[in-house]
Amino acid sequence: MPTRRLAAGTAALALIATTAPAQELFLEPGADDRFSWHTLEAFADAHDHTGARLSVAGVWTGADARMVESVLAYFAHATGAEVSYSGSDGFEQDIVISARSNSAPNIAVFPQPGLAADMAARGLLTPLADGTEDWVRATYAAGDSWADLGRFVGPDGEAALYGLFYKVDVKSLVWYSTDAFFEMGYDVPDTMEDLLALTQRIVDDGGTPWCIGLGSGAATGWPATDWVEDLLLRIAAPEVYDGWIDNSVPFDDPRVIEAIELYGHFARNDDFVSGGAQAVATTDWRDAPSGLFRFPPDCHMHKQASFIPTFFPDGLEYGLDYDFFYFPAYARHDLGEPVMGAGTMWAITDDAPVAQSLIAFLQTPIAHELWMAQSGFLTPHTGVNLDTFSSDAQRGINEVLLDATVFRFDASDLMPGEIGAGAFWSGMVDFTTGADAADVAAEIQSRWDAMR
Amino acid sequence: MPPILQGLFTILVGVTGCVAYFWLSNLLLDRVICPPHGPHAGRNITRANLIRPWLFLFPALVVLGLYLAYPVVGSFVRSLHDRSGTEFIGLGNYADLIASGGFRVAVRNNILWLLVVPAAATAFGLLAAQLTDRLSWGNVAKSLIFMPMAISFVGASLIWRFVYDNSFDIGLINAVRGAFGAERAIDVIQIPFWNNFFIMFIMVWIQTGFAMVILSAALRGIPEETVEAAIMDGASPTQIFFRIKVPQIMGTIVVVWTTITFLVLKVFDIVYTMTGGNFGTHILPSYMMSFMFRDDGRATAVAFVIMILVLPVMIWNIRQARREMR
Amino acid sequence: MHSIAGRKSGLQWAVHLSVVALVLLWLIPTLGLLVSSVRDRDQIAETGWWLAPLPVEMTFRIRAAPDDARASGDGFVIAGNVLDDPAQARWFPDGAGTVTAFGTRGAAPTEHAPGDTAELRTGGTLSVARDGAFTITAPDALTRPVSIFFEARVPPRVTLDNYATVLTSDGMDRAFLNTLTVAVPATVIPILIAAFAAYALAWMDFRGRGVLIAAVVGLLVVPLQLALVPLLNLHNAVGIGQSFLGIWLAHTGFGMPLAIYLLRNYMVGLPRDIIESARVDGATDFQIFTRIILPLSFPALAAFAIFQFLWVWNDLLVAKVFLPSGSDAQVMTVKIADDLIGSRGGDWGILAAAAFVSIAVPLVVFFTLQRYLVRGLLAGSVK
Repeated sequence: MPTRRLAAGTAALALIATTAPAQELFLEPGADDRFSWHTLEAFADAHDHTGARLSVAGVWTGADARMVESVLAYFAHATGAEVSYSGSDGFEQDIVISARSNSAPNIAVFPQPGLAADMAARGLLTPLADGTEDWVRATYAAGDSWADLGRFVGPDGEAALYGLFYKVDVKSLVWYSTDAFFEMGYDVPDTMEDLLALTQRIVDDGGTPWCIGLGSGAATGWPATDWVEDLLLRIAAPEVYDGWIDNSVPFDDPRVIEAIELYGHFARNDDFVSGGAQAVATTDWRDAPSGLFRFPPDCHMHKQASFIPTFFPDGLEYGLDYDFFYFPAYARHDLGEPVMGAGTMWAITDDAPVAQSLIAFLQTPIAHELWMAQSGFLTPHTGVNLDTFSSDAQRGINEVLLDATVFRFDASDLMPGEIGAGAFWSGMVDFTTGADAADVAAEIQSRWDAMR
Repeated sequence: MPPILQGLFTILVGVTGCVAYFWLSNLLLDRVICPPHGPHAGRNITRANLIRPWLFLFPALVVLGLYLAYPVVGSFVRSLHDRSGTEFIGLGNYADLIASGGFRVAVRNNILWLLVVPAAATAFGLLAAQLTDRLSWGNVAKSLIFMPMAISFVGASLIWRFVYDNSFDIGLINAVRGAFGAERAIDVIQIPFWNNFFIMFIMVWIQTGFAMVILSAALRGIPEETVEAAIMDGASPTQIFFRIKVPQIMGTIVVVWTTITFLVLKVFDIVYTMTGGNFGTHILPSYMMSFMFRDDGRATAVAFVIMILVLPVMIWNIRQARREMR
Repeated sequence: MHSIAGRKSGLQWAVHLSVVALVLLWLIPTLGLLVSSVRDRDQIAETGWWLAPLPVEMTFRIRAAPDDARASGDGFVIAGNVLDDPAQARWFPDGAGTVTAFGTRGAAPTEHAPGDTAELRTGGTLSVARDGAFTITAPDALTRPVSIFFEARVPPRVTLDNYATVLTSDGMDRAFLNTLTVAVPATVIPILIAAFAAYALAWMDFRGRGVLIAAVVGLLVVPLQLALVPLLNLHNAVGIGQSFLGIWLAHTGFGMPLAIYLLRNYMVGLPRDIIESARVDGATDFQIFTRIILPLSFPALAAFAIFQFLWVWNDLLVAKVFLPSGSDAQVMTVKIADDLIGSRGGDWGILAAAAFVSIAVPLVVFFTLQRYLVRGLLAGSVK
């Protein structure tokens, strides 16, 4: 009898113990000399948080979550801290609730600076350590703009650096299956006119040009905002785009409405999108690109940011199976070659020494290289070894970034949370499913008006 | 402390705490404050009997007051203030809501839900109850129809995604359409206006079992003689059902109907997981979530509108309860 | 006489058939979930779950590497077997299988019947036999890999992989424990508090009893939504914040009116003589309650416990507001709604397995304790 009771007790203990699995390092430190391991060692020597707990929250779930966990594992390894990451599609809502309830994670990874600015103004964020801002300006390519994007006004009316960008994306990209283009003899379009012609030609050949998916749980609709932003940059001057972000150009401005309707030209045509226009609004964005790789293909092109290869079916290789091209600009508008990008901003929502150390860790080259070696990661950090990129694709996207004559940050991410992470998303779903562009834009503008 | 141990600990503390409170407070009352002996024994017994009910009720009243009564007032007060909660703006939030198109759609949908779901669930439940009555395998059938009651709204939404999905190979509806030669799959969740009914059916599916169980018991309670007399008079089965049986269980039907009505007003999960409120499917509880903790003034105003919708049923219910007590 | 009997049995048949139809309508969606949760994700994408027991015709692509070419006559030849490719190994154990069609282009992967010889765009030919053996001939040395598309009939694959994935890498194991942690105290504590109150309202005479009962009936229908904002603010103010303690308290509060209402309705129906005679024998109310009322009320207590347990276990809204959003506190409903539906949106097998993990316990509770639930429901609703 005593032995049986003992066994039951151990089983219960084992059950509790398994709830906190230790993350394994996917690459032995020092194993590959392309990586800047010495920066990890130097960091480890300077920071010890044995026994401390660090919680990080963000929007990444699934494959992305596993990658961020794999990088955080090195932080845990170096400092001895216990790190937990949790991702949620409802992040935008959850983080506000938890910050107000004093149950915020130590670090929040904001996909939208706009939301972070709201929270900084309410005093829910902690400014980053002195010197971080200078470091960003000096070390990041175009460091001034990255620093400005992370500077907000705090509750005391003083501006300070609240967020550090780590993991940057380029959004103006179109992905395609090399096999399919090769078989059908399609060429990569250089201008928007060519892209429109190619779209029609694929239809004439009996194919379907596009896969578009807006589904994203509580954040459903955001991929369409990227389309509209990219198109606005291609039909109007960048100043219009900037004015749109701070609402000095109203949301129902004719140029914005035109951009929305241009997006509708692609997404609301049953012949142009896989599954017909109806499928667009419900197809999950992570699932949408898989249509490129079916036999026969469901579609030939997919416009999405640089992080999308993470969600391609397993075993595909850049160059052999898939490739990308720059979402081209109109030849007839003289607006240069605008590139739209975004990034995730790491900010401290519950201050602790271990949280400050994580921000310091994100400034080491190794923290960037470890994710570069996986997938879907770009960085403006000038001190990293570009050889650690896992694929030529990512190196190629870096070139897109460098060739840009105009670079703009994702507008919806800069708008106030209620618009950029709310009304804009649902408005685009309404439009995609048949609402009038002008009505949708007016409704979003009225929501903006109501906030004053 | 891992939450699971914390949970066990809480049960222990909660249970012993409750028992200790009731036991000790009664002990205190009987031994110290009003002992039922001594010079004032009679007066003390009367007094103790006056106090004791409140000892029994005290924890429940605190919980009810704090978690249900206070929020009604608190929410109403909050809804009269602006988004930051500092400035009093009277009925401004309500005026803004009425002016917004999204709110009107949510109200319309909510009224549809209130009309359709209780009616459909009760009707299906009554049908199932009548049909399974006296069936040799009736209990098995009932059990299976009752089963969705145990499934969460989130789980049920996932289950119904396998019926509604926009492809021939996942969605059952499209598979059936495909078998009849449809060329292109449709997404029933996107058909304007009618999509609401597809989402409502999930709720009907869950609640029918509840209606059936109660109505089935009520049907069994009908005196045999009334039915036999009708048969003797040559009434058809349909006549017996509608003219004899239904009138006799009308009271139960109303109870079932109102119970499901209250549940409908609490549903938020189904819309949240099926559409997130897109495609014109918002109902008030889900619409409220899009404001909550961003603009609490409006969120609480929406919540109060739900309260107003439920008010007539609530008053009716209270009057019913009071009549029964007499 | 004969005709009436005939009509009667015809009616009986109609009843049987309609009940069968009704039960099927109610059961089929859940069945679809169960079947899908044990299918392979690639097969789910190919055929509907209602075809799950049948073999599936699936399309594959392999690439023949130019390095495998050997010179032959005046050209080059690559020979091999399409079913040996490691990427498809799980579908063709031992390389056994039947090719039903093949093609050279992704746009038309099933153009050719097995055994035929097809022209390659780059010059040369490809042929694939029914057993998977293929031959590529090319006039010149190959530089690019040659893509071979083929369709094969694959037997249905029943697997628990989806459950394994959900429970290990997707964190449903943790969410399961969290749900359990929320549900058990939130079920036990309200029962105790409500039982005492219900007894007072049923068997004690005092001023204001009628008003209180009416108030309980009224509070029964207060929409949960009203409580969210003020209560979370209250929890923040007293320092509970978002926590397990907070959600236990919240569920206790929200379940209280139903608990009191159900238990009072049941207790009122208990025989008056027992209580009266106990009083005459000098038992205090506390003794009457613990020794007589509680044991006799067991069915109602059980019914409410089942009710509350199902409600708490299945709740999404209260958990979203009163629990921290981090993964170490996520309950299963939140996990599914906010994480899995997003990150696994197209992965139906995973979603189905997750849903099944979340509904397994309620289903077991439901089927084993159904008797009590029904009895309790009747006590509450039918007078």
